[in-house]
Amino acid sequence: MSAFTGITVDREALIANYATVADQVAPSGVIPVVKANGYGHGAADAAQAFVDAGAEWLGVADIDEGIALRQAGIDEGVRILAWLHAPDEDFRRAAQHGITPAVSSVEQLSSAADAEVAAVHICVDTGLSRNGAVESEWPELFDRAASLARGGARTRIEGVMSHLSNASRTDDLDQDASLQRALDGLRARGIVPDMVHLAASAASLALPETRRDLARVGIALYGLSPFPDRTSADLGLRPAMRLTASVLRTVVVPAGDGVSYGYTWRAESDTRLAVIGLGYADGFDRGFGNHVSVRIGDRLFPVVGRVAMNAMHIAIGDADVAVGDEVVLWGDPANGDPAVEDWASAVGTINYEVVARLGRSIERRTT
Amino acid sequence: MSAPLRQAEIDLDAYRANLERVRGWMRPVEVMAIMKADAYGHGLEPIALAAVDAGIRWIGVLTVPAALRLRAIGVGEDVHLFTWQHDPALDFRDAIDSAVDLGVSNLAELQRIVEAVDQRPARVHLGVDTGLHRDGSSIDDWPALVEAARDAQRAGRIEVVAAYTHLAESSDDDDAASVSLFEAAIERAEDLGVDVPMEHVAASLAGLERKEFRKDMVRMGANLYGIPGADGVSAADLGLEPVMTVTASVAKTKRVPVGTGVSYDYTYRTDDETTLALVPFGYADGVPRAAQGRVEVAINGKRYPVAGRVAMDQFLVDVGDDDVQVGDTVVLFGTGERDEMTVLEWGAALDTIGEEIVCRIGARVPRVYSGHSVEGRVGEYLRGEHA
Repeated sequence: MSAFTGITVDREALIANYATVADQVAPSGVIPVVKANGYGHGAADAAQAFVDAGAEWLGVADIDEGIALRQAGIDEGVRILAWLHAPDEDFRRAAQHGITPAVSSVEQLSSAADAEVAAVHICVDTGLSRNGAVESEWPELFDRAASLARGGARTRIEGVMSHLSNASRTDDLDQDASLQRALDGLRARGIVPDMVHLAASAASLALPETRRDLARVGIALYGLSPFPDRTSADLGLRPAMRLTASVLRTVVVPAGDGVSYGYTWRAESDTRLAVIGLGYADGFDRGFGNHVSVRIGDRLFPVVGRVAMNAMHIAIGDADVAVGDEVVLWGDPANGDPAVEDWASAVGTINYEVVARLGRSIERRTT
Repeated sequence: MSAPLRQAEIDLDAYRANLERVRGWMRPVEVMAIMKADAYGHGLEPIALAAVDAGIRWIGVLTVPAALRLRAIGVGEDVHLFTWQHDPALDFRDAIDSAVDLGVSNLAELQRIVEAVDQRPARVHLGVDTGLHRDGSSIDDWPALVEAARDAQRAGRIEVVAAYTHLAESSDDDDAASVSLFEAAIERAEDLGVDVPMEHVAASLAGLERKEFRKDMVRMGANLYGIPGADGVSAADLGLEPVMTVTASVAKTKRVPVGTGVSYDYTYRTDDETTLALVPFGYADGVPRAAQGRVEVAINGKRYPVAGRVAMDQFLVDVGDDDVQVGDTVVLFGTGERDEMTVLEWGAALDTIGEEIVCRIGARVPRVYSGHSVEGRVGEYLRGEHA
């Protein structure tokens, strides 16, 4: 027997996380965010799990991601919102596939109306300086929205969104106040959107004032914490991703021998190594070597030497490890698996980047 | 006008030029073109077809499934496909039937191959672990592996095509010690009655720098993509051309006042009234979060640093009062022709190597192929016309 090499996503954990978050943010609704291949988890299966858990919306970055979900079988009874558009986007594909664009400019709003998309959300920049119209652009954008509404356009102004910086509580509340000014500006022109959404994972859990009608939740639904100082368990969440590999070979290394490219690790005494077939081409940082541990059986063992393009080495000492055995890189710490956050902090980054970076070369399965 | 959100342009002419140049340097030694990891993120099938059109006879692809992908699009058996990392559960039958060359690291693997042989003998490369400790047989286990290979060859089950090792490229002395171990292993094999027709040891770096390590064939990967690995040597110094150019289109510009916080945590604030340009390319696409403050991108021939945190799908640059418009091309890295950084410079800026940068370019970034090589078989493949 040989262990599975790849990502196993626990569908039940996704569903449970959705229920936990939905319960916490109620009466606000939840837009599960499945961009970037579902934060590395596999967008189609994650989306289906959230829909089965009751989600009526899904959020993606770009229209191509939305189309991929439609093609994977997410029917148009489930709304899909996309907010990052190519400069020459004409939104006809959005109309054709029933994808709701969030528009950040007069040009985008006009193109969406010309394409007769059923509904748009207006994206306003309230401080993050990313996409979204800045306040100086609001009058023109809102005027255009009002004239569309008065002119009986087929495109409905359904929602208004913005995105928080998470810089501080004060900054985020300032952004909420800015969003309110945008809503007031629209109301003065006779537009009262049905759906206002601002908070993402962090604010929807920690800053209830910002929840509005809907919360766009990504990382938390995958069971990972958006906060550096709180774990998944602290938040009542279960990490849905378990990353495993099969031992390809074991090798005895004499004391003093170096391992992998550049010999960044040397055996202090005679020891054994296990090799697994995952490397930086699969999305593992080259810098993980010598800084993280994996689980084999009930014990933790260090990853040693440079992570290669398609391989990593694990120092297993005299443990009883054989070819085909399962190596757990990360999973749910509640079950004794290493936490993805340990891998993130080893290379000075956040859990989001570690999972979103996992490539399409890795096999994914949902159980 | 087409302004895609994100794009990786793969210049197949540059790849072929690199291949010709490297083969010229190595002649009369054979070159194996390494295309593991989806051809270092460049796309396996187009790169392989371009190389085959250029007359390459050896391709290294790491795994059997990747080799079978190439056979399936018509890469014929006159092109040898070398694989050397095998899942313990892999069934070798299809590989053997398709004449895929199999690197073998241990007795158990050899036995599984022998058991899978049906009509034709399996083509086997015997691997020796000379210090990298990744694949290949340990020196202690080598005689038993050789004897088993000898017996299987005599029984018509396998053909020993070659012996090989990987070098750690830690230091010249370490590599020389590894090569000595390898040479002793070859002598031992011949003493045990196995003729070794070919030996391959050196990869890109050692292949260039250590002529005595070239043996019968050199495995060339990074150089062919225009990413030389030697310290302080640029691709241009060697006459190699970067093959991948990564671009995005400015998705939004905005005029903001002095003191405006930018992206998560407001780690960057504008020091004057300025224009911010949104680049729709995030860490999920291959710009590391660590790129903030370390890399610069080129817009209209001018360099700009990443302003504020890199997000999952996007980052910002502060373009001051420059005339940057929605739809303008942002060059992340490439040849340098548009004043952009090269992938080698990205690697250095991010404390890593160019190979990690190109391999990390994500699935949302379409690969677009250019060059004369897009004619012929590559073009047929890209148009979906392959058999």
